[in-house]
Amino acid sequence: MSNDKSFEPEEKQTTLHEARRRFLKHSSAFAAITFASPILVKAAENELDEKASAYFEKVSLQLEVNGVLHKLSVEPRVTLLDLLREQLHLTGSKKGCDYGQCGACTVHVNGKRVLSCLSLAAMQEGKKITTIEGLANGDALHPMQEAFIKHDGFQCGYCTPGQIMSAVACVREGHAENEEDIRQYMSGNICRCGAYPNIVDAIVEAKKGGSKI
Amino acid sequence: MINFDYIRPSTQKAAIDALNKDATSQLIAGGTNLVDLMKRGVTTPQKLIDINNLPLRTIEEGKGIIRIGALALNSEVAENELIVKKIPLLSLALKAGASPQIRNMATVGGNMMQRTRCPYFYDTVMPCNKRQPGSGCGALKGYNRMHAIFGGTETCIAVHPSDMCIALAALDATVVVSSPKGSRRIPFNEFHRLPGSAPQKDNTLQRGELITAVEVPDNAAFVKNVLYNKIRDRASYAFALVSVAAALDLKENIIQNARLAMGGVAHKPWRLTSAENFLKGKTASIAIFQQAANMSMKDAKSYGYNKFKLTLAPNTIVETLKTITGLS
Amino acid sequence: MENNFFDVGFADDLDRVDGKAKVTGTAKYAAEYELPNLTYGVLVDSTITKGSITTINSKAAEAAPGVIAVISHLNSPKIPGYDAGANPVKGPTGGKGLQIFNDNIVHFNGQPVALVIADTFERALHAASLVKVQYKKETHETDLDEAKINVPAIEGQRYNDYLRGEANVYKNAPVKIEAEYTIPIEVHNPMELHATTAFWRGEDKVTVYEKTQGVKSAQRSIMQAFKLTEENVQVNAKFVGGGFGSALRTWPHAIAACIGAKKTGRPLKLVLNRQQMFTMVGFRPHALQKIGIGATPDGKLTGISHEAISHTSQYEEFTEGIVNMSRFMYACPNVNTRYKVYPLNISTPTWMRGPGEATGSFALESALDELAYVLKIDPIELRIRNYAETDPQRNLPYSSKFLKEAYQLGADKIGWSSRNPTPRSMKEGDLFVGYGMGSGVFNASRGTARALARLNADGTLLIQSAVADSGPGTATAMTQVASAATGIPVNKITFELGDSSYPPGPTQGGSTTTSTLGSAVYDASIALNKKIIDLAKENVVFHTTEIHTAKPEDFVFENSNILLAANRSKKMFLADVLKGAGLTQVEVTEESKGSEELKKYASYSYSVHFVKVLVNPATGVVRIARAVSVCDAGKIISPKTAESQMIGGVVGGIGMALMEEGVIDHRYGRWVNNNFADYHVPVQADVPPIEILFVNKPDLIINPIGAKGIGEVSLIGFAPAVANAVYHATGKRIRELPITPDKLIS
Repeated sequence: MSNDKSFEPEEKQTTLHEARRRFLKHSSAFAAITFASPILVKAAENELDEKASAYFEKVSLQLEVNGVLHKLSVEPRVTLLDLLREQLHLTGSKKGCDYGQCGACTVHVNGKRVLSCLSLAAMQEGKKITTIEGLANGDALHPMQEAFIKHDGFQCGYCTPGQIMSAVACVREGHAENEEDIRQYMSGNICRCGAYPNIVDAIVEAKKGGSKI
Repeated sequence: MINFDYIRPSTQKAAIDALNKDATSQLIAGGTNLVDLMKRGVTTPQKLIDINNLPLRTIEEGKGIIRIGALALNSEVAENELIVKKIPLLSLALKAGASPQIRNMATVGGNMMQRTRCPYFYDTVMPCNKRQPGSGCGALKGYNRMHAIFGGTETCIAVHPSDMCIALAALDATVVVSSPKGSRRIPFNEFHRLPGSAPQKDNTLQRGELITAVEVPDNAAFVKNVLYNKIRDRASYAFALVSVAAALDLKENIIQNARLAMGGVAHKPWRLTSAENFLKGKTASIAIFQQAANMSMKDAKSYGYNKFKLTLAPNTIVETLKTITGLS
Repeated sequence: MENNFFDVGFADDLDRVDGKAKVTGTAKYAAEYELPNLTYGVLVDSTITKGSITTINSKAAEAAPGVIAVISHLNSPKIPGYDAGANPVKGPTGGKGLQIFNDNIVHFNGQPVALVIADTFERALHAASLVKVQYKKETHETDLDEAKINVPAIEGQRYNDYLRGEANVYKNAPVKIEAEYTIPIEVHNPMELHATTAFWRGEDKVTVYEKTQGVKSAQRSIMQAFKLTEENVQVNAKFVGGGFGSALRTWPHAIAACIGAKKTGRPLKLVLNRQQMFTMVGFRPHALQKIGIGATPDGKLTGISHEAISHTSQYEEFTEGIVNMSRFMYACPNVNTRYKVYPLNISTPTWMRGPGEATGSFALESALDELAYVLKIDPIELRIRNYAETDPQRNLPYSSKFLKEAYQLGADKIGWSSRNPTPRSMKEGDLFVGYGMGSGVFNASRGTARALARLNADGTLLIQSAVADSGPGTATAMTQVASAATGIPVNKITFELGDSSYPPGPTQGGSTTTSTLGSAVYDASIALNKKIIDLAKENVVFHTTEIHTAKPEDFVFENSNILLAANRSKKMFLADVLKGAGLTQVEVTEESKGSEELKKYASYSYSVHFVKVLVNPATGVVRIARAVSVCDAGKIISPKTAESQMIGGVVGGIGMALMEEGVIDHRYGRWVNNNFADYHVPVQADVPPIEILFVNKPDLIINPIGAKGIGEVSLIGFAPAVANAVYHATGKRIRELPITPDKLIS
């Protein structure tokens, strides 16, 4: 490549109007504004009053996680993954990349396997989420979990929850009929430790095991 | 990410009204591309309009067409009985894209709207005329291994990354679009643009328009002999170096009609019209396929790191046609 | 008394002891601890490659909701370790590590220049984008091809040429090969993002949940950085999500987390993003190699010349043994090697699985293959004709070497002799078929470690050591050792690790953990047994003249019992021994290290990789159809995890051979593909079933358990096996990794 090094980094501009615009948007906020002191409005405009802006920047959210109903208030920018890990303290779902490129964050939403790092929490209203923590039945492991242990389908364990959630869905989708299919349909879950062949063996075993997957 | 506003309207009108009212707003459906772009700071909408409540998910037969709602999930379309039976090429292309999890989230409309994967587009520190008109093109003299060999300009050599779109382009689909002014139909091959001097516009959708459906001709001729051939650096979960969507209407060994489009080579799905015309009426043979491939490369241009595509593209065309006709 | 450890048959179906925690998501990694008042830290990265920071405007960031502090060189508290001149995050070889927030100098693009701390992750992340940094740019150099012409190589002892016999003998040899080989930057990319959660308990006490492969070395780094005593620095690493070398040293972000936590007085969690996993935790450096090999017409090597050029950062020296394999792998009277390293404006590289040899073997094992074709001698036969019976570099006998057995096992398994050796002669349909092999080698050694063994009144056994496990399965292997040595069943044994207050364990690197820690666990087990014997001798019920006069070696331990070998009816349940002595537990801590004897031997682990590839001649796509890998790692302690370890290295080898390549745009000095979508690691569909074979013969000298190491050789030698297979399939010799489709169709 040539040695042209003349490009300058882009300057980012902060827009402060957003706080006021958002402030005025919500009807409850509007009422508050009508009666709020000028200081409160000015503070919000300058993004200095955390509490005010925090209050008006959240949306209510009701969702079920592993059978438990949660009523929450979240900023729209919070991903489902960060909601699970940081707010609900369900750290079983993992952050491997945060851009939907590795599958470590795989959970089930209304029975479908999806990437929680690319899912906004606010968009999960009324949904039923299942994470790795919700797979076992108390002390009784799910057949897929048992198969993973038996076939050593993991090493460091970090991609494992995502692999197992993906594997369970893969079988339920009907995409585990043969090893070729399993390999293709599990390719959305990266394992840097390289446990791939053992993961395939685990899925094959779990599927033919006879227990309901 | 800034803490954007979020609304979830339940009617198309409400969604479009909101979009038109706020120039900083964007629609969100599956979010698999948009959320990624927002995290990278490439796009910074101040309001997201969640359209998932709109009734645009059905897949149904119409008069001579299959109509696919814009919100239908990639995975649902790929496995839908009607699609598998009547437009198998579309199913094959969808299955070659992304990963099962992403296909469970991504919608048909979103797949069409997805932005390029060019690293200079994604990195807000790098020059990119698409992201920031006038800032230059980092890829032109940069790492352009994945970039266009057709239709590029000094302004932009980005590639559209979709697999689904290649099949829709090959099958002459129609995009149905709705706005307060009414609805219009856009031939698929006119939906995406070439960069020209305005690479910031990926497609011909106007602000305030909503994709509501894609209609694909129900053409029995292009059911039997189809293939989506995607060449990539690893066996799955990777974008195409090049790809070919091919459908042949074969009677014995004679090609009645051909549909060919390529991915990984241009700013839009690249329809191989001259090859299609050439193949019509010809007897399938490797030599014929090679001629078709060579003529498709007429305007191909390398930018350095993607020089190999000038060989890979015609080779893949030939290989695809060989596989479909059993000549391999 | 001692079990004849080398005869022990280890169960090959022992599941990983930490399996349940991993499959249920209850295993906690560094970023997963819930602490009161937790804050979140996000680093701001430089957007220039070389120069200095002129201003940092953090006003908008500081004013943003939830932001507690913004730290940079402008306001960072002084790091005591920096003042002393000693570098707390000392580089592996020379120079000073990156002293975060110590000055305004920028050494590489993506260098951390500020830390934003807020009460939520989203707020910290957004505020980081509001920090405005201005720079004075200087001309940078990130291109090794340019640097090697324009800039002097780094000087020092490490770069002295090596010579045995005469130099460049190959040039006049009857048959010779001369070629250049290139590997790009390769990046570890473990699945777990590097993370540190830190909190201070007062001015001088800190607890850190750290992603590290070395609990004690991380503790030392933090002690040195903040001038703290050992008992005041607590490092926890109970579960580590992969390392492959990237977590062998403590990186600046960990120090930044400690700084941030101290400044706010609140716990701080700092997690790198995936882009920073390319710029802040090292990588395998780009290397250019030249090899010349000369031989007689019947395949006896007469001379090897091996030269390598690689890079380090401008603030620190990193070196690795790229050319070393050529000195010790094969019997060759004349060997000369040269290794030069150039400073570039990229962050410091670090050891990555098989450091040095993974790179060097690509050149050496490819070149030998090329030579084999010229000589018309089978590649395995060529290696056997130059088999080293003693270490040719150090003139020492091997503590064990079963490489010949490994060649045979693998060749038989893959059907090596039934292939048609002519290149481009085998097809399956339209695809060309190729078979290739390559050898791996890595030093085997035994370090120093301590282990605690405690027998409880209920008959359970606790083993403890401050080691971290990033995936190989240390706890499982140690459980096997302890069980074999004490006779206590595995389900009654718990192995605890990952806590710096435990007896010091080794860093998990260099394939030394099983050897080092296994020996310590063995020694601790034997010491525990001795104590039990003494107690048993005093036991009223057990006590007889026979028992009292027996020597330690007259006893055996089986199934939680102690027995007299000569009279097995004389046995006692261990729990009863304790009960009889009125004790609730018996405990020993043993330090274990290699004897001076070891210095009289050379010790290596060996691997041989056999690969079958399918190549599409039209598209250049290469797929691995079959992989057979054989390993001589001495005695295999934990068969299940050992096999997984080998498979993992092979998968890493597939990535190295076919797809991994770190790309920097030298115009800007900035990474272009630092993410998981553009930097390709193998996915499930890339990997066929992998067949692993172990010679499994104990090394009788290196340590009491007979085990060498597996982690590195599982990858070393795989990439050349693939390149050799591709040559066999296509007749095209690819000397530059990765072997992507474009390289085969041009």
